[in-house]
Amino acid sequence: MNTIPLLLYLAAGILYAVHFSTRSATVGRAGTAVLASGSLAHTFVIGMQTMAAGHVPIAGTTQAISTFVWLLAVAYLCMEMTTEERALGVFIVPLLVALQLIRALNPVMERRVPILESAWFGVHVASLLFAYASFALACVIGITYVLLFKEIKAKHLGFFYKRLPSLDSLDLMNARTVTLGWVFLTVGVVVGAVWAAEAKSGPIYDPRVQAMSLADPKILGAVVCWAIYTFALYTRRLGWGGKRAAYLSALGFAIVLFNFVPIGYFLTRSHNFGG
Amino acid sequence: MHLFLLGVSHKTTPVDIREHLDFAARGLDAALAALAVRPSTSEAVVLSTCNRAELYVACDEVASARADLLGFLGEYHGLDTSAVFPHLYEQVDGAAARHLFRVAGGLDSLVVGEPQILGQVKDAYAAATEGRTVGPVLNKVFPWSFTVGKRVRTETALSEGAVSVSFAATALARKIFGDLKERTVLVIGAGEMGKLTARHLKAQGVSRMLITSRTLAHAVALAETIDASPVPWRDLLVTLNQADIVITATGALLPILTRSQVEGAMRGRRNRPLFLIDIALPRDVDPAVGDLDSVFLYNIDDLQAIVEANLTRRASEITKAEGIVADEVKKFEVWLSARCAIPTVVALRQRFEAIRRQELDRLQPKLAGLPPEAKARVDEITRLLVEKLLITPTEQLKSTPDPERVRSDADALTRLFALDAEDPAQGEPDRSSAARRADDAGKLVTP
Repeated sequence: MNTIPLLLYLAAGILYAVHFSTRSATVGRAGTAVLASGSLAHTFVIGMQTMAAGHVPIAGTTQAISTFVWLLAVAYLCMEMTTEERALGVFIVPLLVALQLIRALNPVMERRVPILESAWFGVHVASLLFAYASFALACVIGITYVLLFKEIKAKHLGFFYKRLPSLDSLDLMNARTVTLGWVFLTVGVVVGAVWAAEAKSGPIYDPRVQAMSLADPKILGAVVCWAIYTFALYTRRLGWGGKRAAYLSALGFAIVLFNFVPIGYFLTRSHNFGG
Repeated sequence: MHLFLLGVSHKTTPVDIREHLDFAARGLDAALAALAVRPSTSEAVVLSTCNRAELYVACDEVASARADLLGFLGEYHGLDTSAVFPHLYEQVDGAAARHLFRVAGGLDSLVVGEPQILGQVKDAYAAATEGRTVGPVLNKVFPWSFTVGKRVRTETALSEGAVSVSFAATALARKIFGDLKERTVLVIGAGEMGKLTARHLKAQGVSRMLITSRTLAHAVALAETIDASPVPWRDLLVTLNQADIVITATGALLPILTRSQVEGAMRGRRNRPLFLIDIALPRDVDPAVGDLDSVFLYNIDDLQAIVEANLTRRASEITKAEGIVADEVKKFEVWLSARCAIPTVVALRQRFEAIRRQELDRLQPKLAGLPPEAKARVDEITRLLVEKLLITPTEQLKSTPDPERVRSDADALTRLFALDAEDPAQGEPDRSSAARRADDAGKLVTP
């Protein structure tokens, strides 16, 4: 069932790439339409799974990835509508395709263990997924900022010069997405800590809950991310936006992605509820 | 009915002759009114810009329209047309439409792809509409040319990219800073180039503009003309901290901005981007300044290179734009030849209707005994019969794309049905209804 959104995302990705290179408005609109129908299909899939399981599918890493993809698609579409800027789709949609591919290759619906049946847990995962979607946008915006910056600096006004919005608006978009992501990341981490403390002293014994400490790679990764984005926001307040903020948001999202996929699957001892 | 064009442009005519043919100075109304009373032309639009003066008219006879327009040019401008004649060009029908479409698309402009001309064509048409000198032909071809202009603009890159140094600088500033309203511009040097670029930036909505010059009086004078604030030369480095865009255009022989000076200013700016436009020769800004992070340094050669690249790209789009024009001209020719068929179609219908009436009148005594419903039925059937017989030839005639073919077909019809022979039985045709039908026929073939 997860392959339908995947195929639509793939088609949208191709259309966005064609739009980016030819700048045909018709192809661009087609890309948006296909992406919108992909995220609609994805909404339907997630809705069906929620009804089947009785809870939103965010417990296991694979399910969370799919929900993250859906959030990112929706967030990107919102951004595209508010800024009327379609050029960034070519960077975002491939990410959707790659991550949704993981979900499509693991179609199993993971069972939720009883210890996760807590409202805190839902808030924790949802906030973090929101934060990661924002950071993904910030990262893409940051990369395009650097590409455009380099073109103007080198006086080779070409590909990106014609296709991207101004440096100033890219910087502003980066600032907004990082701020939003930072707020959700903070909420997610704090709620996670509160929930872990509660679960540790709770009636159910689970080795994974006992492993929840800063020494766990997944938790450490999240804290490092928080530190990086806090630094990015702080220096921006001092007036250091632009290229430095762009690099920081790219670095931050690289860690987010690393923390989300390889660490989530192979290294963490505390966050592997996928069963 | 023909579309006829007579005119001069920068391509055929030197400016000293063109200026004698300018219509804009006295207002287009006067020219249009003078044209309207000419006997051979039924519609007229006057397109007069600094690069061209063109008369577009609809006429029945090209030769007499040409003579009429030449006479008009001579009388209206009070000049000897023999001096102008070698410079004039003329086009008829499809070729005239092609010319207008190329003009509206910016293909005939001095700077290919410049967008102002489309507005000028629209203004010319609006003036003629106001003066009521347009009719079915020009009402068709002018709005059509707006569509062509728009298609060229959206479907090709013919109008893309700045093609002057000051526009290139402004476009770059917008790509770096987006909206320029909140930005501060510093102009160093009160020369002509600095003034021009400052004007362009001002037109983009820059609210804060500072001007400095070694001679304060020059700065004050320029500041007054472009609504800016003069700054004393000794405050140059302090002001550099505040500016986002700096234009240098002094006559200094040695660089006035060194790397260390700009580096100092950048520390104060916390690395917010600084756009330096050095349009002076010799250069005002040490090229090493361009190595600083977050400094975008463009000199006159860099901007010139952008302009050259844009012109080359525009040139490469010409074929595509010409394709659009050719495409639309073909469609226009179909429409125009359909119009050529209208008088024949009207005459043919009148002839058939007359025959029907004649026959009904002849049968009147035999039909007299019938009840009214049956009489009405007979009338209806004969009418439908005539309609059915005429529908195919009418459609065939209207859909022929080649005007020559339409003309020969029309001639054949005229001869075969003796349409030009005065039929005493037909009597005087009803003028107003014939005109109405001609209008209907015109509507039918409107694409």
